[in-house]
Amino acid sequence: MIKRVIGQLGCVAALIVLGVTAEAHQLNVFASTDCTTVLVEAKFSTGRRPISGDVQFIDGEDKVLATGTLNDDGTLRVPWTDLDTSTGLLITVSTGAHKDFWIMTPEDIAKKCQS
Amino acid sequence: MPKLTLWAAGLFVLYGGLFLHPDVARSEEHPRVVAVNYALSYFAERLGPDEIEVDFPVPDGIDPSFWRPGIADISAIQSADLILLNGAGFSTWTTKASLPRSRIVDTSRGFSDHFIQTETVTHSHGADGEHSHTGLASYTWLDQDLAILQAEAVAAALETRGLVDADLLASRLKGLIGDLQALDDAATDLANIAQSWVLIATHPRYQYLAEAYGLNIRYLEWEAGSAPSEGQLAELRDLVAKTGAKVLLWEDNPPPNARADVRALGLAEMVFPTLAQRVEEDYVEQFGRSINELSSLLRGVIQ
Repeated sequence: MIKRVIGQLGCVAALIVLGVTAEAHQLNVFASTDCTTVLVEAKFSTGRRPISGDVQFIDGEDKVLATGTLNDDGTLRVPWTDLDTSTGLLITVSTGAHKDFWIMTPEDIAKKCQS
Repeated sequence: MPKLTLWAAGLFVLYGGLFLHPDVARSEEHPRVVAVNYALSYFAERLGPDEIEVDFPVPDGIDPSFWRPGIADISAIQSADLILLNGAGFSTWTTKASLPRSRIVDTSRGFSDHFIQTETVTHSHGADGEHSHTGLASYTWLDQDLAILQAEAVAAALETRGLVDADLLASRLKGLIGDLQALDDAATDLANIAQSWVLIATHPRYQYLAEAYGLNIRYLEWEAGSAPSEGQLAELRDLVAKTGAKVLLWEDNPPPNARADVRALGLAEMVFPTLAQRVEEDYVEQFGRSINELSSLLRGVIQ
């Protein structure tokens, strides 16, 4: 009986610790392109990488161009040809509890891909 | 020959008219300076009123700490001649896009050893969605000594880039520092008036004000400009019982019934704008007014 109570207290303590941990980190997103693919990289501020997450590629007129899911290493590659980048890209990542974004302007893209 | 003279006169009128048109003159002749909060945009406007165009791109009603710019906003910011950052973790959007390093100035970099650490809390409220209070207090300019250092950093950036004449800049900086020093002097008396009484603020924004002027402030996590829920009012009631607090500071104007609910708990209350966002009065007038109002409020309830 005592063991069971101790076990239950342990579970409660673990949940509290996990709850605190969940509050104490945030998601950071970065995206880059080599003009053949767009690479999205997501990482928590703790250094840990999310094992899944929903990714959206949105243009300068708020139109969703493509969606995808993070790989278990926190990255996603999308072929450049799948995206109309003429008005820039807003890339959002949501892991459920955490969200973040990265913005690539038409100027960023032109500097990289039209030089 | 007369024909040529007429053509020359025509061209003169055409180009002269173009240059004299205020919109054209603004866009073609004035370097553009972007500031991430109202405080910095005010400093820049005071330092280069005629020479630069100051752009504070965050729309009214949006919290500049957690503004999410659009692609066009970032394009406009990237093309500015100077981008004034607050530093200390303020305006998280500045880390969500590529900004030209050579045109960025972090105005608090010189006093990073004075940054105040806070507990990191990630939470969600309003249309801004989830956000974190990152572990550093960001509203540095509420300590007027630090505001002076930030104004000096803005002036140095304008001078280094040749955007404003050095002599004019020195004279204007002296005037601005004089005004900020006067605000600092006025606020210094707050500690004597408040003694050790606890103040409560609706959002964790006033750490540098508290540190500089000896105030003991406890923080809630209420959304700016909104009425508190029943649960939040209960939390406030508990905090008042625990601390004996008599004054509550709102970050932004709440609905009238919310102010009445707070007063019903025996608290005196006032709006103390943080000056991260534009206000009706200018920075110096508003901060001076807030200090005077807080002094009067504290005298009324404590002494």
